[in-house]
Amino acid sequence: MVELWNSIILEPVLNSLIALTTMVAGNFGVAIIVLTIVVRFALYPLTVRQTRSTKAMQALQPRMQELKKKYAKNQQKLQQETMKLYKEAGINPLGCLWPMLIQLPIWIALYQSIMRALAATPENLLDLSKHLYSWAAIGQAVPLNEQFLWLRLSQPDRNLILAILVGGTMWVQQKMVTAPATDARQQSMTQMTTLMMPLMFGMFTLSFPSGLALYWVVSNIIGIVIQYFVAGGWGYLRVPSAPKPAPDGKAVPVRKLPQSQQESPTIKKASKQKKDRFKK
Amino acid sequence: MVKLSFISVKLSKALLVLLLLAVLSLAAFSCVAPSSGGGCAGPGAQGWSGFASYDGILYLGSMDGKVLALNPSARSERLMFPSERDGEWVLRLKAPAPSGGMCGPLGCAPAARPVAIYGMPAVAADLVCVATYVGDGGKVMAINRFAPGYDEEGNPSWKKQGEWVYPRGQDSFIGAVVGSPVVVEDTLYVGSSDGKVYALDAVYGDKRWEFDTGAKIWTSPAVKNGVLYVANYEDKLYALSDQDGSVVWERELPASLASSPVVSDDTVFFGTFDRYLLAIDSGDGSDRWRFPKDNPADNWFWAAPVVRDNVVYAGCLDHSIYALEASTGRKLWQFVADSPIVSTPVLVDGLLVAISDSGEMYVLRADSGVSERTVSIGYSVMAPLYAEEDMVYVHARDGGVYCIDVQTGLIAWEFSSIID
Repeated sequence: MVELWNSIILEPVLNSLIALTTMVAGNFGVAIIVLTIVVRFALYPLTVRQTRSTKAMQALQPRMQELKKKYAKNQQKLQQETMKLYKEAGINPLGCLWPMLIQLPIWIALYQSIMRALAATPENLLDLSKHLYSWAAIGQAVPLNEQFLWLRLSQPDRNLILAILVGGTMWVQQKMVTAPATDARQQSMTQMTTLMMPLMFGMFTLSFPSGLALYWVVSNIIGIVIQYFVAGGWGYLRVPSAPKPAPDGKAVPVRKLPQSQQESPTIKKASKQKKDRFKK
Repeated sequence: MVKLSFISVKLSKALLVLLLLAVLSLAAFSCVAPSSGGGCAGPGAQGWSGFASYDGILYLGSMDGKVLALNPSARSERLMFPSERDGEWVLRLKAPAPSGGMCGPLGCAPAARPVAIYGMPAVAADLVCVATYVGDGGKVMAINRFAPGYDEEGNPSWKKQGEWVYPRGQDSFIGAVVGSPVVVEDTLYVGSSDGKVYALDAVYGDKRWEFDTGAKIWTSPAVKNGVLYVANYEDKLYALSDQDGSVVWERELPASLASSPVVSDDTVFFGTFDRYLLAIDSGDGSDRWRFPKDNPADNWFWAAPVVRDNVVYAGCLDHSIYALEASTGRKLWQFVADSPIVSTPVLVDGLLVAISDSGEMYVLRADSGVSERTVSIGYSVMAPLYAEEDMVYVHARDGGVYCIDVQTGLIAWEFSSIID
């Protein structure tokens, strides 16, 4: 299984990354940035599909709230009606997960490639020899020059700049797509996801090689750019954070969605005009 | 309390699980271990250091910071280790963490990393010199080979025993050292990850000179006829005066050195990362030959070549051991082993002894490459082999030291350097 993974996914990515380093004058930092951009754009259709699917799910939230109120005491009926709603809208509720699942092996391969290519120790360098193709461009690049800007790519960046960049960009990206919570339980889960992941990755940055953190930052920035253009704006980033639960434990009524998430005639008209402009 | 829609909950949970899975996969699938002894080679990668021998005692380092003095006689009698009567000892080196510990929102913690010894020790009169790898940093330490004068905390008492540490001071480090230090007369030469070559007084530990090559050095220097040959990881090979570090010549190579250079007569031999074995003139750095002539080999010549009687014996990670004519690079014979050759082979009385990554030892006729016998160690070997008379000493990846009689193929004794 590991052999199969290495030969089909890891080694092509690893060797491309190292060959790319030769093509960009031996600068591994630039190679990481270029390959991250290339991979993100290769996966662009999947990302768009995922974004649209998420957006469509969010657009149904007001109607789902109505259903929740209506069938608060009958969970089975609520489930049936919710599924019916999704069916009518032509949405697969798990549809936004599949693109993410397909992308996951590629991200893992990219991550592994960066770690392996950096070969921080003699053991790692020796292990790298098992995965390299006999391309001339690879022999010229190995062992890679780990200096990039102020970073030593095989070592963690200890001055917090990269950790803040990783955490910050991840938070912005998540905030753009995370719909406001409507009740206490959902609110805590949303908060956990939105805050914990950036914090966790920020902490990882302090102990993982900075080459990997560089990849996270670039990947997050591209994610933000794609999200901005596909969703048509900053999404939920401009919306105040989760509602405070009412004293009786019930959620405060749903707030107004950001303009970009509303299906108002104005937005529809604007997006039509935008599409027309692109067609021209 | 109003319950969530099961779909929303399911989605959120699925997303969380997915993210956690991703993080776990990243951690599990990768080689995140910049500290010594770990990484892709796994935690069992103990034996990198080769042997130095003096007055019948073998000295070696370990990846968990130990320096050991072994007496083969005591080991063959299976006496309790260390047998002090027979000049044996073990010293556990402790080094303070290099500056710049890990910082987080809650403050900074020192980057505690173990001391590792990759290179083989060097003996200078009454001292055994080792160079260490401690995360980003390294030190060169000289230990009294009769009575190691370090206290239990690992602090040297060098004023009493003539021992020294370079650089002095708990917070002073040079770059991490991977290659072996080399002692010629009373000077010790060592290359470091900070890109510098240091020449130290082998008796007192004072710096005589240093030369900055500008990029990481992971190979050992070679010294001959007053010239020191050292290569860095930016494709540069330097010939320096061993007196003051001045440049005799330098040249840019097509790729960096995968093996340490070896000098024989007027030629420098080494393997490169573009999969060739190169021979260059030691006087001016001009090319003599390269092997293979046209297409590169299937992998790197990682092990330092061995040269004797106008023949170069080179182990390659493509599983082959090559014998080449030293003056022309013409292939004399080739032996294909069962796995990559990482360890430097050794010559014993007309026999070439090489060991593969799988722990299979091959005893070959040096003139023809015909296999006389094989011995299975069972553990991969990365450290260079060492021979005295008919005995070959192997420091395996599991930390085991094996003494093998090449004439009979029997393991005379074995010893584990993994001791409490």
